[in-house]
Amino acid sequence: MADENDKKKAQPPSAAGGPPKLDRRDLLMGLSTVPALGLFGYAWSRQQQYRSGKEAAAATAPAAAAGLQEINVALLGAGAQGQVLMEAMLRIPGLRFRAVCDIWTDYNQKRVVNTLKRFKQEPNGYEDYREMLDKEKQLDAVIIATPDFWHAQHAIDCLKAGKHVYCEKEMSNTLEGARSMVLAQRETGKLLQIGHQRRSNPRYIHAYTKLLGEAKLLGRIVTVNGQWNRAVTPDLGAPERYAIPAEKLKQYGFKDMHQFRNWRWYKGKGGGPIVDLGSHQIDIYSWFLGANPSGVMASGGQLYHDPQTHEWYDTAMVVYDYDTALGPAKAFYQTQTTNGSQGYYESFMGDQGTLLISESEVNYPGVLFRDPNAPAWDEWVQKGYVSAPKEAEVKEKSDSGAVADVRESVAPDQHTVPVSLRDPYHQPHLQNFFNAVRGQGTLNCPAEIGYETAVAVLKVNEAIEAKNRLAFTPGEFKI
Amino acid sequence: MATTEATTFSRGPMIAITALRILVGWHFFYEGLTKLTAPSWSAAGFLKQAKGPFAGSFHAMAARPDLLANTDLVTMWLLTLVGACLILGLFTRLASLGGLAFLLMVYLAAPPWIGYFYAIPAEGSYLIVNKNLIEVAALVVIMLTGSGRFAGVDRILSGLFRRTPRLATA
Repeated sequence: MADENDKKKAQPPSAAGGPPKLDRRDLLMGLSTVPALGLFGYAWSRQQQYRSGKEAAAATAPAAAAGLQEINVALLGAGAQGQVLMEAMLRIPGLRFRAVCDIWTDYNQKRVVNTLKRFKQEPNGYEDYREMLDKEKQLDAVIIATPDFWHAQHAIDCLKAGKHVYCEKEMSNTLEGARSMVLAQRETGKLLQIGHQRRSNPRYIHAYTKLLGEAKLLGRIVTVNGQWNRAVTPDLGAPERYAIPAEKLKQYGFKDMHQFRNWRWYKGKGGGPIVDLGSHQIDIYSWFLGANPSGVMASGGQLYHDPQTHEWYDTAMVVYDYDTALGPAKAFYQTQTTNGSQGYYESFMGDQGTLLISESEVNYPGVLFRDPNAPAWDEWVQKGYVSAPKEAEVKEKSDSGAVADVRESVAPDQHTVPVSLRDPYHQPHLQNFFNAVRGQGTLNCPAEIGYETAVAVLKVNEAIEAKNRLAFTPGEFKI
Repeated sequence: MATTEATTFSRGPMIAITALRILVGWHFFYEGLTKLTAPSWSAAGFLKQAKGPFAGSFHAMAARPDLLANTDLVTMWLLTLVGACLILGLFTRLASLGGLAFLLMVYLAAPPWIGYFYAIPAEGSYLIVNKNLIEVAALVVIMLTGSGRFAGVDRILSGLFRRTPRLATA
């Protein structure tokens, strides 16, 4: 047969006028490409399987399969922050949870142990961390997420028991505590990572090494401002039937269940919002400016909350003086706990550009503004360091029709930082710690850096009290 | 029109064109499904990088959230439907036309013309002709040869809804 057409044309014209004729051959040819769709479906489902298989493997991979040395870990402090860390750790291959320690045995401890069991981990539960250190000899590392006033003792005892330690920030609620942690780390030679997790966030690392370090996009940074605004949060409360007996609370330094749950607000326990929230961001100020502050002024107070239950300042407005390698700089920071509008961010303003950055992937996840007088950034766009610019609209009138003042500066081009983090915020910092435990790489926030940040941050509460500018001596940051 | 009037070539070339149609369809279908199933795919990044004579309209599309949402939706479904139709040989001409119009837009949004450079790295090197343009040409061939009526659901449809051949009644 030479041709399809020949055959068709050879059909007798009797078909004309009758019902449409559809022969077997038409049907076969008509459906002949359907198997291609089947093949596509097969390929698609195989690929989906492959992908989800890889994700699942990455989430729960036993160390041997990943070719990793298994690390035996314990979680000391299984409250809200401990659970955040646990969830991030469950996504890191090569970890074996051996123990969970929390004095709230019936609630936090039980809950975390049960969660871990669902992920095929078999941790033992402990109330007393000393008992845990005695019994769990094979532990390699302890993750500490207890209230700040326990950090020093917990970290030091764990280091002295020969464990590597990841300790949540604030390193300690006192400088003496923080200093003794650094000394214990040096003495034991074990690793001590402090939980300023932005230090391992790929966007911050990109900003520090590429945008500020290599490309120097901001020029000379002269002013910095940042904030963490948080809406009023209610008392965390405690279910009555899980209440911890009074004598046990006392033994662990709490006067009652309310204080146990809301320790962050109490003097001698936590450091208030400037420590809980501010310390993350003030840490970034010093990191990006390449210096520790030389002085601090601060104003704050118990403006809103009941001073009986909120002993720390619910509002703080802070100005740091910095002497950077390029010249003096001023850095403003605000934290308040009565209105969450505009959330949290840090903004670094140099004579050539501005970097607006935050840990959030949703709000302020990294924007750069190029000053109109700065040299072109084409090279950095080409290299993929920043996105192509979104050119600012030239606005001669406001949205309401009011005419713009001629003295307004020309709006700068806007670029985005093309780096985001798909994992939980704490995961890269924990990963950095476990890499270091395996001897691969160094810590992004070792004890000394945590200490420097603690010095800068704890001084704010002093400055508020002193109602005066307090100076730092360079020696103050060193041990 | 008679069923096979469109198949102006002999069997060998028609099989080759049908294979071409399935390959192009496969590509479209996968592009569409990937975007549909990705949690947060958007054309914004591509549109923002647009250059060339129509760059302004593409940027405007990216800038307005309402337009962008529609663009994203249309892109995802158009790719998927065009892909499925090409594989099946269903509404082949309409699907080819839709596909080639879309690809031409993509081509014009980032034309590899003299003096144009892009921040998004390409996997090859192109001057005026790129793979989008070649796929456009492939779709022109598929459209003009009506390969769906050779091997595809169009063959069944045109059989079912065939009017009386003109030759027989004239």
